[in-house]
Amino acid sequence: MKKFLFILALQAALLAAAEEKKPACCITNTGGVSSASPAPFTDKSLYQLDSIWNSAEGRKLKLADLRGKPQVITMFFARCELACPVLIHDMKRIEAGLPSELRGKVDFLLVSFDSERDTPEALRAYRERQELDPATWTLLQGRPDDVLELGALLGIKFKKDPQGQFAHSNVITVLNPAGEIVHQQNGLNLDVAPAIEALQNTIHKVTQ
Amino acid sequence: MRALRNIVAALASLALGTMASAASQPPPGMALVPAGRYAPLFRGEKDPKEVVVNAFFLDVVPVTNAEYLEFVKANPKWRRSQVKRLFADENYLKSWIQDLDFGAANLSNAPVTHVSWFAAKAYCAWKSKRLPTTAEWEYTAAASPHRADGANDPQFKQQVLAWYAQPALSNLPPVASRGSNYFGLYDLHGLVWEWVADFNTAMVTGDARGDTGLDRKLFCGSGSEGTNDRDNYPAYMRYAFRSSLKAAYTVHNLGFRAAKDL
Repeated sequence: MKKFLFILALQAALLAAAEEKKPACCITNTGGVSSASPAPFTDKSLYQLDSIWNSAEGRKLKLADLRGKPQVITMFFARCELACPVLIHDMKRIEAGLPSELRGKVDFLLVSFDSERDTPEALRAYRERQELDPATWTLLQGRPDDVLELGALLGIKFKKDPQGQFAHSNVITVLNPAGEIVHQQNGLNLDVAPAIEALQNTIHKVTQ
Repeated sequence: MRALRNIVAALASLALGTMASAASQPPPGMALVPAGRYAPLFRGEKDPKEVVVNAFFLDVVPVTNAEYLEFVKANPKWRRSQVKRLFADENYLKSWIQDLDFGAANLSNAPVTHVSWFAAKAYCAWKSKRLPTTAEWEYTAAASPHRADGANDPQFKQQVLAWYAQPALSNLPPVASRGSNYFGLYDLHGLVWEWVADFNTAMVTGDARGDTGLDRKLFCGSGSEGTNDRDNYPAYMRYAFRSSLKAAYTVHNLGFRAAKDL
C-alpha cells in the first residue's frame, strides 16, 4: 500500500512537471478540445494561405503545417551568386545568435523564386552545400503564382530576367507561432539583434 | 453520292469554321487583344528592349460595383465584415454602405474600388479569369482611339496626361462614359488605376547586387536616362504607383479588370 501511494505521488509529480513544460500553443488545445481541431487562424496569419509547396525532402506541405514555432523566412533562388548567400548567412547569424532557451525552437524557411529550376533535388543539393540543418531549415519550391502571392505578402519584389536570374529585394521576416509578421529587416549584412529580440518576444508571449 | 459528299464537306468546313472562330471569339464583356510587342518603361541592363505579348482577352470595362456585389454574395468571406486583414486592409470596400449594399443605385455601374490585390485576384478566379500582367496592361493601354500604338499621337498623350493631373473624384462616374480605344476597351485611362497580377515586380529596389543597373534607373534626378520613353509621364506615374502598393492595400481610385487566356 505504501508503495502504491508512493507511485501515485510520483505520477502526480511527473504529471505536474509535464504540464509545466507544455508550450502554450498546446495548452489552449486542452480542456476538452482535442488537438485535432486547432484554433482558427488569426486575421493576419500567413497560415491562411492555401498554396501547396514542395520541400527539399519531396514532401508536399502548406505553410500552416509550420504552425506552432516562430519562423524566420526569406525568399531566394539557388543560382543566386551574390545577394542570396549573404541573406542566408544573415539567417545563420540569427540562428547562431539565439539564446539557449530558443535553440531548436525556431524554424528557418527559404522559399525559392525559381519555380522551374529549384526542384526538391536542387533544393536538397543547395541545403547540403550551405550546410543547413534539416531539423530546423525548410526549403520550399512552389508554383509561380503562389511564389508571387507569398512575395506580395512578405513585401518582397522580384523580377526574372531573360537569363533566368532574379532581381529581388532582400527581406528577412520573422513570423510568430501563429504565422503573423512580427519583424522584418530589409537589406543585407544588418545587425541581427532586432530579429533575435523579436523571436524572444514571440516565445515569451506564448509562454505567458 | 457526289451530292452527299459535297454536303459532308460543306458540313465539315462549317464545323471547322465555328471551331476556329470559337477560339478567338471573346467571351461576353471581353475583347480580343491581338498579340503584339511592349517596350517596358524600365529595364535592367540585361532585359530585352521589347516583350512579346501573346493574344489574350481583356474585360472591356473595369469591374463594377454591381458585378462585385454578385461576387461577395456568392463568396461571404470577401464581404466587408468578414474579410481577413491579411488579404485586405481596413478600408476594404469603404465606400459601400454595408456588406451587400454599395449605396446609391447610380453607383451600380461605377467601377468597384477599395479592393485589394487579393480580392481582385479572387474575383477573377471566381470568373475563371485572371488579372492581366503589367506587360499586357501597358501594351493594351498604349492604344489610342485609332491606333494600336498611341505613342506618336500627341493628342492622345495629352488627354491621358490631363487625367493624371486631375484630383480623383469622390463619386466615380459609370464605366464606359467615354470612347473606347483601338482594341474596343474603355477606361484604361481617365477613370481608375487598375491592379495587375505582377504589381510587385515593379521597381525592384535593394535588389540582387548583380543587377544594380536596375536600381539606378528607378530614382529621380537623372532617373529617366535609363528609360526608353522619357516623355511618357503617365507610365512613370503608373510604375511609381504600383511600386508603392502592397497586396492588402485598398485605395479609393484603384480598381481592376480581368483577363483570360485564349
